[in-house]
Amino acid sequence: MAATVAPAPTGAVPAPRTRSSTGGPGRRRGGWPAALYLSPGMLGFAVFIVVPLLVSLVISFYDWPLFGAPEFVGLDNYRYMLAGDPAFWLSLRNTLIFAVLYTAVNLMVALGLSYWLMNLGGRWAAFFRVLFFIPVVTPMIGNALIFRLMLNDDGVINQMLAALGIPGPQWLNTPGWAMLSLVMMSLWQGMGYNIIVLGAGIAGISPSVLEASRIDGAGPVNRFFRVVFPMLSPTIFFCTIMTVIGAFKVFAQPYALTEGGPGNATNTLVLHLYRNGFSFDRLGYASALAWVLFVLVMLITALQFSQQKRWVSYDS
Amino acid sequence: MNSSTKRPPALSRRSLIAGLGAAAPLALLAGCGGSSGSDPSATLYTWISNENDRAQWQAFIDAATEADPEFELALEGPSFEDYWTKVKTRMSSGDAPALLTTQAARAQELDALLAPLDDLAQAAGIDLAEYNEAMIGGMTVDGTVRAIPYDAEPMVLFYNRALFADGGLEVPGATYTMDQFLDNAKSLTSGDSYGLAISAGLVHLGMSIGFANGGTPVTDGALSLTDPKIIEGLQFGFDLVTEHQVAKAPAAVDSEPAAQQELMNGNVAMYLDGPWMYQAYADALGEDLGVAIVPSESGEAKGLIQGSGFGIASNAKDPEAAFASIMAITTPEVIGAVAHSRGTFPSIVSQEEKWAEGKPEGNVAAVQALAQNGAPLITTPTWNEVGSQFSQYATEGFQGSRSAEEILGEIQAAVG
Repeated sequence: MAATVAPAPTGAVPAPRTRSSTGGPGRRRGGWPAALYLSPGMLGFAVFIVVPLLVSLVISFYDWPLFGAPEFVGLDNYRYMLAGDPAFWLSLRNTLIFAVLYTAVNLMVALGLSYWLMNLGGRWAAFFRVLFFIPVVTPMIGNALIFRLMLNDDGVINQMLAALGIPGPQWLNTPGWAMLSLVMMSLWQGMGYNIIVLGAGIAGISPSVLEASRIDGAGPVNRFFRVVFPMLSPTIFFCTIMTVIGAFKVFAQPYALTEGGPGNATNTLVLHLYRNGFSFDRLGYASALAWVLFVLVMLITALQFSQQKRWVSYDS
Repeated sequence: MNSSTKRPPALSRRSLIAGLGAAAPLALLAGCGGSSGSDPSATLYTWISNENDRAQWQAFIDAATEADPEFELALEGPSFEDYWTKVKTRMSSGDAPALLTTQAARAQELDALLAPLDDLAQAAGIDLAEYNEAMIGGMTVDGTVRAIPYDAEPMVLFYNRALFADGGLEVPGATYTMDQFLDNAKSLTSGDSYGLAISAGLVHLGMSIGFANGGTPVTDGALSLTDPKIIEGLQFGFDLVTEHQVAKAPAAVDSEPAAQQELMNGNVAMYLDGPWMYQAYADALGEDLGVAIVPSESGEAKGLIQGSGFGIASNAKDPEAAFASIMAITTPEVIGAVAHSRGTFPSIVSQEEKWAEGKPEGNVAAVQALAQNGAPLITTPTWNEVGSQFSQYATEGFQGSRSAEEILGEIQAAVG
């Protein structure tokens, strides 16, 4: 490409820079400064992400205690995970259930609320946006402790239900309700982020397009599904990717609310990983779990990207 | 760079301040490497969850300083909950303290961290037989003693004398059968008011009763959670909630503080805990605080003894100097002084009188009966995993959806 760009004669008025000219000699000239500017970020990425990632891969082939000499065990950690550790499959199942429930409800409710806020407009819309976003910036562990108090057998929720004559369930002590409690708490905590992002996406839709659809006789439902949703699909796709990744990393909620119980009903992959690494002294096995989680999330994200052509429209 | 290129300007004040601002956090980070700068042989790594913990360790130092004004010991450590994880990483560092604390129940788990003390004790002319035999047994790993115990605390049944008197019941003491206990719990339960509080931890009511009846969760260094007496004891604990309804089902997480609070507030009449909580309960209940033995089938006392001690890091550079520090804080006089001021039940029999000063005779008799007829809780290196899994499954036991046999059998199969 560089060979196609003729050098400008000395003293001549420089030609307008074309798209191709930015990738030629100019790019080479800016190489070192660019590298210099990038280096702090890249150095941080290498030191804090790439190196630990590779080291954890190495550790996953060892029986590695927190104190003492590690012992090379080859693929034993992976074999034990797939064939000898029943808690792995249970925690994987729980993580998948959580991810599906959380992502689906999160996106549906966040989309509905952001559409409602767009129609509401004005100060009230701004007020509700702040209100919905507050839980996102509060510490997860603090929220979980409050939810634990509220969801106890004789907590605030059940007391309120009892006042209405409804016997409340054992939110945290029965498997189904415990998972539902995790999802509810996570939705309360995390939905505000998607509301803001989707709201920004909706705000970016040209009012003239919406006005045109109104003139053409589209009602609110038709307008949403035939105009708003397609134009918002890149934003929804982004939210889906981020929400799924976040859902697979769920840890603080089961750690603080249920400790993975009752039984293994709310034990998730990251909680299982944390316990093996830092409570049960098995850093090698925890690293193997981390790698399986990493590959799993990568595959699911790749699958989502491969399927986006079916429903994501980048035509503005 | 050609000659027309401007030379970079000299550092402006703003740039200098920005640079210093960027460097300061790095310097701070470098300073947070964990090095306390203290002599490792005179630094104790231990749990310091709150001011109460710090005051306890300080009591050892103060008592040792009375005997030797030159004695110095620095304290370092995280909260109790974090201690068991962090002690392993802290002891791996180059500037690690040479002294550390362990519970007898965790001595097996910290095996690699703790140096054998037998030869050091022999060389220093220390008679380990002076210390509580059960605790020395608990601190013994692979045939060698790994820590010098400073307390030897059997699980006991705390009760509220006033509530027993209101119910017209005779207070329990140095003998107590499970039938009497159940009758009392039923009598003390009415409406929403329960006879006792229960926490969901593994080493609590059910385990203590199973132990008192002759069961043991670990046999010859291997898990034996399916010991029939242990299963019966834990099932008895579950049944108190599900069948007899004399206690509220404990919360799924952190049930212990809530249960302790129930006793201190006078909401329940009984709760099983360790003597290390004696002073806290005495402060809350005053003269109404009673102590009885753990109920058993025969009614005789058999204590499940827990306690802690001081050990030396296996990678300590100067074990002799570290051992000298330990000996300074585990003399009979120091242990007696701490027992008196902090309420820990001493690991040396001759110091029990100091602990007993000011306490009701019946309470003292019950604790002593359990201590004299007790055995240490000896665990396995996987005990942390056992406790963690039991916490997950306990709620199902307290709901009656699974039996103790099923729960313990599953844990035994998974961890054992």
